Amino acid sequence: MPREKLQHAIGAIHVRFGGHALVHAARLPAARPWPTGLPAVDRLSGIGGLPRGRVSVLQGALGAGKLSLALAVLATATREHAHAVVIDRRHRRFDPWIPDRMGADLGALTVVRPPTPAVAGEAAVALARAGAGFTLVLEELPEPALGPLESAAARSGSVVLVVAVGGGRALAHASSLTLELELLGWEPARGRLAGPRSVLRCVKNKLAAPGAEAELVLRYPRGPRLPGAEWPREVERTPAGVVEPWPGASAAV
Amino acid sequence: MAGRVCCGLIPHLELARRPELTGAPAVVGGGDGRVLAASAEAMAAGVRPGLTLRQAEALCPAAAIVGADPVATSRLAERIAAQLYDLAPEVEVRLDGRAWLDLTGLPLPGRAIAAARRCLRAAAGVEPRLGLAAGPFAAALAATRARPGRLLQVEDVPAFLSPLPVAELDLDAEQLERLDLLGLRTLGAVAALGPRQLESQLGKAGRTAALLARGEEPLPLAPWRPLLVPGARCQLEPPVDDREALLFVARGLCGDLAGALGDRGAGARKVRVRLGVEDAPEESRESVVRHPLSSAAELFGLVSSWLREWRPAAPVTEVTIEVPELEAAGRRQLRLWMGGDGSAEEVRAALERLQDRHGVEVALAVRRALGTSPLAGQRHLLVPA
Repeated sequence: MPREKLQHAIGAIHVRFGGHALVHAARLPAARPWPTGLPAVDRLSGIGGLPRGRVSVLQGALGAGKLSLALAVLATATREHAHAVVIDRRHRRFDPWIPDRMGADLGALTVVRPPTPAVAGEAAVALARAGAGFTLVLEELPEPALGPLESAAARSGSVVLVVAVGGGRALAHASSLTLELELLGWEPARGRLAGPRSVLRCVKNKLAAPGAEAELVLRYPRGPRLPGAEWPREVERTPAGVVEPWPGASAAV
Repeated sequence: MAGRVCCGLIPHLELARRPELTGAPAVVGGGDGRVLAASAEAMAAGVRPGLTLRQAEALCPAAAIVGADPVATSRLAERIAAQLYDLAPEVEVRLDGRAWLDLTGLPLPGRAIAAARRCLRAAAGVEPRLGLAAGPFAAALAATRARPGRLLQVEDVPAFLSPLPVAELDLDAEQLERLDLLGLRTLGAVAALGPRQLESQLGKAGRTAALLARGEEPLPLAPWRPLLVPGARCQLEPPVDDREALLFVARGLCGDLAGALGDRGAGARKVRVRLGVEDAPEESRESVVRHPLSSAAELFGLVSSWLREWRPAAPVTEVTIEVPELEAAGRRQLRLWMGGDGSAEEVRAALERLQDRHGVEVALAVRRALGTSPLAGQRHLLVPA
């Protein structure tokens, strides 16, 4: 009898909310990765790329290289999706110069500049629902938008990457994959600042085991990115965590 | 003006919807393994509709053979008809690439013809041939004899038809052979024989053929009519004042409407929501959308944004969602055969809706400008998407 009641309850949920609202665990689809083309990011995700249909978060302190890393992912996305969207507040003045230097296809890039955080949330949800291949959010989204954003991305399979300084609890809850950048120091080159040296760490992962980390040198682009050039450069770490200099490069700070 | 019906001629719509085949020998195969349509280059090599694909391949080895997609083609026909319908009240579009406009009563028929030419050129990617005559049959024959992009106007229809071969009549091979045996090889000869005599030989088709040959146009246009989709309605008993419940109902109605729109290959250009409220006048809201909505998600995206802000005066007793203005959504299906990102159209529609609500500067496209400038703002331009 309890089994019949359970079936009745399941049937009621299906009727009311649709078949996707309650799915047997064995029938759940496997996570589909979108390879970013950045080996460190793909490896840390545990599935070979950012998860499609999920919200991923890239967080860290100011200057750790979040934006550089996110723009590198964006550059790949513009080449692989018909639509890659950046959501950025008007006053922040997103500059397409860096993704352009990284080989982005600017024809596939759309910049959304919402006047308020509420509109940013509305835009993110609408674009994820419409199936934008990749959405990069450089804006703190309001909490009420995060739930709809999750469900919209899940329905369309859109890849959503949110860049946040700290990230609130709501964003942490909505995230399926959270990567954190921690600034270790600065990389010099020819007497000039070349970029930050940071540790990229997977602090949350609903799809694979978290905890993996990689050390990266995120050099600021100064010229066109050469085909096949490694960016960001990954620094090998010894088991003890001692930074080893990359062959042919200057010593670690 | 002697003529009242204009006929525009473009390649078969199976070919017209594949611009990559323009100018190359191409053959469209039907489901029965026979040629459904062939490009002019393939026709020049002897390929004709009705031949087997093997025969077509032997006649024109260089021809690209592609499969037919009746659904996509009929959607393209719908789209063309919807555009021509804005020019004349009576229009007909056939899959073989013939499109007619009845210009009767139009104050500016020349302007309608020019607009029809532009419409057909945009749909097919090639200049249409145009014919103008008293009826659809003569207009179509005039169009086949016009140069691309030009109009052939027929003043004296019987004189125009008289020297044309009987093969122009829509008769099967056996009937044409019968006419040949009777020595009737031109439309003039058929016209002279008379409908009753030819009916005794070929039956009803003979009578029709004789009338056509005389220019009497017994076959009127089968006029295209715009799509109609009834609204979706749900009565609520007891009345509901919970917003989440209203959204749940609206989602279901949007799904029903999207199904009806999908059956008709249409998208909503205008959406109206009416709320019947208890002991108070009905409340409604409507909007014209720049980009037609056809999926449940698109419809619900618009409707839910209204419902979330709506403050009904009393509990809601009935929810009605209507789509009073439709547009053929054929072009929205282009993505089905173009490949690439399957939701590109929806994304563009979402961006347009954001621009409608918050201004065009909310969604911007990136253009390269002064790439070597030291000032970041000069390297790229951001223009409304």
